Amino acid sequence: MAKKAKSRVIIVRLLSMAQTGYFYTFTRPRVGIPMSMIKYDPIVRRRVLFLEQKRKGK
Amino acid sequence: MATASNSFISLAQSLPPRLKTFLARYPPLSILPPGAALAPSKALTFYQRETPNPFLPRKHPVTGKWHDPKYSLRRQAELVKLAREHGVEELLPYTEKGTETKLAKRVEFGLRVKGTGQGERVKGHKHERTLVGKMEKRRKAMIEMPELIREWKKVGKRSWSKFPR
Repeated sequence: MAKKAKSRVIIVRLLSMAQTGYFYTFTRPRVGIPMSMIKYDPIVRRRVLFLEQKRKGK
Repeated sequence: MATASNSFISLAQSLPPRLKTFLARYPPLSILPPGAALAPSKALTFYQRETPNPFLPRKHPVTGKWHDPKYSLRRQAELVKLAREHGVEELLPYTEKGTETKLAKRVEFGLRVKGTGQGERVKGHKHERTLVGKMEKRRKAMIEMPELIREWKKVGKRSWSKFPR
């Protein structure tokens, strides 16, 4: 049986670098570069760097 | 002699049925007629022969297995309370729920809360146990944050390669 086609966009998780476990979820094209941005972390109440988490499994 | 037994009879009539039944099944030696003290084994009731103290767990003589007390701790406490109200607590067999035992425990331990003494600690929930380490990790990360952001800005998000697991 033919494998299911991979979707063009993927859902990624941007993890707070303040080690709080807080994250934002975005979608980006599968072929694009990994995302990173400075955003607000409500647990430390500051704007900190968020980096895309490497995808696990599959 | 007759007066003593008469007083016991009148006392027994004033007791609630629950206590009366218990004392009929497990009478202490002190309220038995004087002849009983000479041959205690003959004076024992059927219940007493089965379990000398119905408030204590007992090892079965044949199988060697432990049997629970005939009266649960809750029922023991209820009987003790009832007996204390009627002033006959000393007629009950030894029980952990007795006033004397409880007072002795209070004297030994006072108002101690378990886990607060010297060398004792409360295990706590997992989030409580890991809290210190977690805050420390977070604090370190926040100290290094300006440096990390500066580096990230210098490298640029297009060529950034260090991503978390």
